Amino acid sequence: MRGLFHKVPMYWGLAIVLFMLLFPFVNDSRSTLILLTQIFIFAIFAMSFDILLGYTGIVSFGHCMFFGIGAYSTAIIFNQLEANLLTFMIGLVIGIALSVLVSYIIGLLSLRLKSHFYAMLTLAVSQLFLVLAEKWRGVTHGGDGFTFSVPDLFKDRTSFYYITLLSVAVVFILLKLFTESSTGKVLKAISQNEHRAEALGYKTLHYKLIASVTAGVAASFSGALYAVSLRFINTNVFSIEVTLDALLMTMIGGLGTLAGAIAGAGIIEFLRHYLSELAMAYPIFERWTIILGFLYIVVLLGFPSGLAGFIKKLTLKKKRKVKKKEELKKIA
Amino acid sequence: MEVFINLLVNGVSTGLLIFLLAAGLTLIFGLMSVLNFAHGGLFVWGAFSGAWIFTETNSFLLAIAGAILIGMGLGWVMERFLIRPVYGNHVRQLLITLGGMLILSESIKIFWGPNPIRVNMPGWLEGSYQFDGIIIIKYRVFVIVIGLLLYLALWLLLRHTQIGLMIRAGVMDKEMVQALGINVKGLFTFVFLLGAALAALGGALLAPYSGVVFAEMGMQYAILAFIVVIIGGMGSLQGSALASLIVGVAGAFAAYFMPDLSLALNMLLLVIVLLVKPTGLLGEKGSAV
Repeated sequence: MRGLFHKVPMYWGLAIVLFMLLFPFVNDSRSTLILLTQIFIFAIFAMSFDILLGYTGIVSFGHCMFFGIGAYSTAIIFNQLEANLLTFMIGLVIGIALSVLVSYIIGLLSLRLKSHFYAMLTLAVSQLFLVLAEKWRGVTHGGDGFTFSVPDLFKDRTSFYYITLLSVAVVFILLKLFTESSTGKVLKAISQNEHRAEALGYKTLHYKLIASVTAGVAASFSGALYAVSLRFINTNVFSIEVTLDALLMTMIGGLGTLAGAIAGAGIIEFLRHYLSELAMAYPIFERWTIILGFLYIVVLLGFPSGLAGFIKKLTLKKKRKVKKKEELKKIA
Repeated sequence: MEVFINLLVNGVSTGLLIFLLAAGLTLIFGLMSVLNFAHGGLFVWGAFSGAWIFTETNSFLLAIAGAILIGMGLGWVMERFLIRPVYGNHVRQLLITLGGMLILSESIKIFWGPNPIRVNMPGWLEGSYQFDGIIIIKYRVFVIVIGLLLYLALWLLLRHTQIGLMIRAGVMDKEMVQALGINVKGLFTFVFLLGAALAALGGALLAPYSGVVFAEMGMQYAILAFIVVIIGGMGSLQGSALASLIVGVAGAFAAYFMPDLSLALNMLLLVIVLLVKPTGLLGEKGSAV
């Protein structure tokens, strides 16, 4: 726990959480609340992706499958049974159990392969889930999707806002503890040099499996919240765009810093919201995804450590300047 | 029997179209271990630009030539501005080529709108041949002929030319070739442009074949090509050809007998190959693990 608060600029985090807690009292516009809820949900998803890409160096192009599994489990349970908190819990548990199973099997089959193969395989498997959701019409209603009702607690936008805010905070703390744990340190070692980690006696496959299962569980949870927030589901949750969202958010926010993933989710969702509003006035913005694509490539080429890395660099520079000044003073 | 032959022809022609995509992927990977996730983007650009030129000029040959040129142009830009800067860093390569894919398929929607576009068959390839009640569609035969000719041409290029020798040597041992004073980067650009041209050609040939083109098509076919490249063995042209035929024919039969399972079947093939022989059917380099 001490490590957690040592590394994170705790006051900033607390200040932001406090601000978010008070926000609905300041501004109770429905659309802003919905936007923020969406940001929180995608922040969880982006953090789960960060565990893979940022902390362990695993490139998965099929992360949407866990998001989709979580979303569909909850939605189908609500649709088939009734919508109350108990069924929500059941759906959540089913989604998480499925995600654990799927991520474990995929990991066991392919995590020993080189990164290219893993990226390809995960992409292909996620497409398989997309096809499954489209073909299994009896339950999923195919590409048209279906609407469902949600428990009363989730219907109220303000209370759902607080639930997602709480979820982000809890997931952030849990994942932070995970990355600060001894397992997390081994993961970091794997991302830097897998062969060396193996030579030191760590079963890297075992640790990579832990990372991918953890990421799968968190992604499944975010998917469940996503389904509840929309009260509607279709096969889009399995589309490659969802994976791309996670990629954009973690890359732009900064890899290997969970806070960066949250910031990235905020940036991307804000951009999406305003660009699609702009699209109503200027049709050229209808294809705003391409703007995100260019942004992504610019970040990848120019700022590989993302926003978080950029801020870190700035603060380091400042510290260095202060140090230099002090040294100069001493000499003088 | 009739069904069997029809399915075989369908499967082989689809397989050869996938081969055009997979050939570039496997050579690019073999030479520089770059896995190009944007390859499907070149394919879909070939399909749309080919279809567009065909409806504008009504000349199929012009459409194919235009598609290839556009594909090569895009390939050049991609190689120069996306792949070179992150050269040697696998993770960033994967990430950046996926970004390239996003931009290519989104820009399709800017030029041609988000809806699927209908494509007509060129007049001289319309219709079908009939032998004893077996109907074979002309265009499929055309695709098979072109695919086989291209395979032959690629084989000749790799086996019997100076540059082919350099490419093969580069696939085997890049550092050694570089040490011998051969410009591997230039070679790579050549291979990349070749791959881009093949992908665009594949797209242009596919457009009249499927009758309709849409932006998401690139990803679908890219996934098939990835599966083919893994099954055949990374870096092996023959392997890709063989695996394309297997995937194409298996897909055609599966689509007829159990339509819901066709993609699952490919995945099953993939999993079996990865478990039994991770280097693929004809892969030698042992680069999978």
